[in-house]
Amino acid sequence: MTTDANPLLSDRDVDFLLFEVHDAASLCALPAFADHDRGTFELTVQTVRRLARDVFFPALRDTDAAPPALRDGAVALHPKMRAMFEALAEAGVLSATRPASVGGQSLPALVATAANAYLCAGNASGAGLAMLTTEAAHLIESFGSDELRARYMHDLYAGRSTGTMCLTEPHAGSSLGDITTKATPRADGTYNLTGSKIFISGGEHDLTENIIHLVLARIAGAPEGSRGVSLFCVPKLRPDGDALVDNDVRCAGVLHKIGWRALPSVALNLGEGDDCRGWLVGTAGRGLAHMFQMMNAARIGVGASAAAVAYAAYQESLRYALTRPQGRALSGRDAQGPQVAIVEHADVRRMLLRQKAIAEGALSLVLAAARQSDLAEHGADEAQRARARRLLDLLTPVAKSFPAEKGFEANALAVQVHGGYGYTSEYLPELWMRDQKLNSIHEGTSGIQGLDLLGRKVVAGGGEALAAWSEEVTLTVTRARAAGVSAAWCDALDGVVAEVGALTIELAARGLAGDVDGMLSHSADYLDLFSTACVAWQWMLQATAAQRAKGAGRDEAFYEGKLRAAQYWFATEVPRVALLARLCREAEDSYLRMAPEAF
Amino acid sequence: MKILVSLKRTADPDNANKVKVAPGGAKIVTDGLEPKVNPFDEYAVETALRLVENGKTRIAGDTVVVASFGPKEAATNIRQSLAMGADSGLLFTTDDDSLDGDLVARALAKVVEAQKPDLVILGKQAVDGDSNQVAQVLAETLGWPSATFAMSVNLSADKKTVTVGREVDGGVVKLTLTLPAVISVDLRIVGAKAVTNNVTPAAFAYNDGPRFAPLPMIIKAKTKPIAEAPLASLGVDTGLKVRYTGFELPAARKAGIKVKDVADLVERLRTDAKAL
Ligand SMILES: Cc1cc2nc3c(=O)[nH]c(=O)nc-3n(C[C@H](O)[C@H](O)[C@H](O)COP(=O)(O)OP(=O)(O)OC[C@H]3O[C@@H](n4cnc5c(N)ncnc54)[C@H](O)[C@@H]3O)c2cc1C
Repeated sequence: MTTDANPLLSDRDVDFLLFEVHDAASLCALPAFADHDRGTFELTVQTVRRLARDVFFPALRDTDAAPPALRDGAVALHPKMRAMFEALAEAGVLSATRPASVGGQSLPALVATAANAYLCAGNASGAGLAMLTTEAAHLIESFGSDELRARYMHDLYAGRSTGTMCLTEPHAGSSLGDITTKATPRADGTYNLTGSKIFISGGEHDLTENIIHLVLARIAGAPEGSRGVSLFCVPKLRPDGDALVDNDVRCAGVLHKIGWRALPSVALNLGEGDDCRGWLVGTAGRGLAHMFQMMNAARIGVGASAAAVAYAAYQESLRYALTRPQGRALSGRDAQGPQVAIVEHADVRRMLLRQKAIAEGALSLVLAAARQSDLAEHGADEAQRARARRLLDLLTPVAKSFPAEKGFEANALAVQVHGGYGYTSEYLPELWMRDQKLNSIHEGTSGIQGLDLLGRKVVAGGGEALAAWSEEVTLTVTRARAAGVSAAWCDALDGVVAEVGALTIELAARGLAGDVDGMLSHSADYLDLFSTACVAWQWMLQATAAQRAKGAGRDEAFYEGKLRAAQYWFATEVPRVALLARLCREAEDSYLRMAPEAF
Repeated sequence: MKILVSLKRTADPDNANKVKVAPGGAKIVTDGLEPKVNPFDEYAVETALRLVENGKTRIAGDTVVVASFGPKEAATNIRQSLAMGADSGLLFTTDDDSLDGDLVARALAKVVEAQKPDLVILGKQAVDGDSNQVAQVLAETLGWPSATFAMSVNLSADKKTVTVGREVDGGVVKLTLTLPAVISVDLRIVGAKAVTNNVTPAAFAYNDGPRFAPLPMIIKAKTKPIAEAPLASLGVDTGLKVRYTGFELPAARKAGIKVKDVADLVERLRTDAKAL
């Protein structure tokens, strides 16, 4: 890497977030992470970021430019996808967070998420394939029979096969309870599967011999809706004696996409020849619940990828702004003097600071969620685990959607900073912008995340998750005050916590009274409001760490930058909470009143 | 076969453009830059590992020891080498600022006396000071044969000699050294086939560049020993021969100019640049 190459993420910042903000080292006190210390975390991040910079990022343009196509039922991946995947597998990245009992390194999700963010920034498609493989293996690890674990789990963790999640059907995307893929029991305990899946990422390729599909389907005679959905393991090639034989999973087409172009998204037909065998994973009728292990991990993964893709583009536009000469200072008298670098213009600095506030705020939020997932699984006692589970459930839709939604805005700003050059494919920001758009769509659209947050998560258990969240944020504010962070910001965040609580109670009461529109018609605004609050919380945490560290004569500019980004968030975003709350409270009805024919 | 590799930590060389000179030129400021292993030293570790391997497996009985001088935190950098595959580490603690090339070389000579390696491999220079002295002074102090700027190394089958390809201005010079010896390595030593030991099959190709520390090895490295002792315990005179009197940035480069045509270029090379 040359000295002015894009680092994808700032190493100093990742170090700050891991150790000064989210206290990764403290996780080592938990038995599950006892083999680790700060040194192993640092070395792990170092290995993965090097893979990202040396293998993933240099392949980004090429793998985007030549997406795979379907030929004679086969899909040939870009050779550089193979190089990426093999490098990850060889470095042990696929099983990093799993326990030693299945060959993993018991790495906390917090550290793995930070490390993987480099991979996403370098090449989202390559990182996506790895994530699918890890989580498919994890599903089999958690719910699969011994037979399935022995047959597939190790191969997946070692990268000898890849995995998929087969949920979406042409008529059932957001509404998974409506899937119709059918599983008919056979005498030997397996099932015959028939049906069509669409948009299956990594659903066909030539990278590994076998592909292990984890498929949602309905057992003949099962009840309607999500209660009738079960989970199946459907390999591309199934065992037959000592051999592997075709399992009647047909790739019917590869979709042409505007981003994530290196990772094929395919339509799959199961059982065209009535010879597609599936093995039940877990309990019949619990398929969606089981699949949520993968979906929740994927949602945090999508948030991390979104934060990373915004981050890399921010870094790119920062480098551009520092070197592109154009125009002169507004106050300058000297029209003949040399042009200044565009970073000198107030509006360009605005665009850069906005990107910084979004990207670094989003990454911090995703890491906060990852930390809760570590505590939820490995916390010291049941009380800590239960509290973390609630917080994780609550944060998941936010950590998934905020980085995607605001990240897209940040990505557009990175294009904007590049001016006309940003609109050409000579420069990378347009690519990251295309890649980013997917993140508000897959793994549940932002619309679905908003409904999940307001309709389910904040009201769950009588609002116990929200209560835990309020406690966390209030504690953050108390610490911020003690550290000498701006009282105005602290007051503002205290006010936001109170507003979120009051508003949620009001909306929930409407729901209980049967006024569903009154509660949920502004779920998108509620999601926006709650996301803004969560990111304000993250900036408060960062400002506190920065305030504490400042003045010691080390890294002054770095900490100053953190405080200015926090200032920006409190000055420009937090005030929007009042407007969004009013829209929710008034159930402002412009679009509800728009009958389809009025458009 | 025992190989000793020396290791220095330097302010993140990937971000060298962030290095600043303190006001008044008293020192170099590397604020916010992670200390990383000097890249040439990483190549030295990679070279050593390739010499003790049969392709992907280790040759039983051969060892690689990594030594470093610096603050306690340098243990992290040693651990990185252990995660790459080195067997043990030695850390002689002192301030980064209390070292110069001469002291490091004399201290290394003491380490060599105690460790009795067959081969010492160093990076050709550290990317911060760029002094390029330690290997030479060390070899002189020990009275051992040495080859600097190695771009290829071949260890003989009987492990009695190494043949080193040295990068010099006019091309490559080949030297055969009788062990024990001192080698300093250059960038090209980490090419896929630059290091050979007459054990690893000729068809085997390494990945270009120093290897990544695979995640499982990072945990294993925690159990590998790093012996720590104060630098003074080596019994060397810790006085410095190099004194820094001041630092300043090189003059900013002037913007280039566009020339009209070849004739103009030649004219300017002759008159302005006085290059012809
Ligand atoms: C590149 C790519 C990769 C993908 N990979 C996979 C994969 O590996 N496996 C897999 O199973 N699927 C995958 N998907 C599918 C993806 O999860 C779905 O596209 C997504 O869930 C939305 O479903 P849909 O496309 O049918 O849109 P629809 O559900 O038709 O939604 C269309 C619009 O209506 C809104 N909407 C729908 N229902 C509601 C509602 N109840 N309330 C409010 N708004 C609503 C949505 O928010 C959206 O804006 C992938 C998709 C893409 C594009």
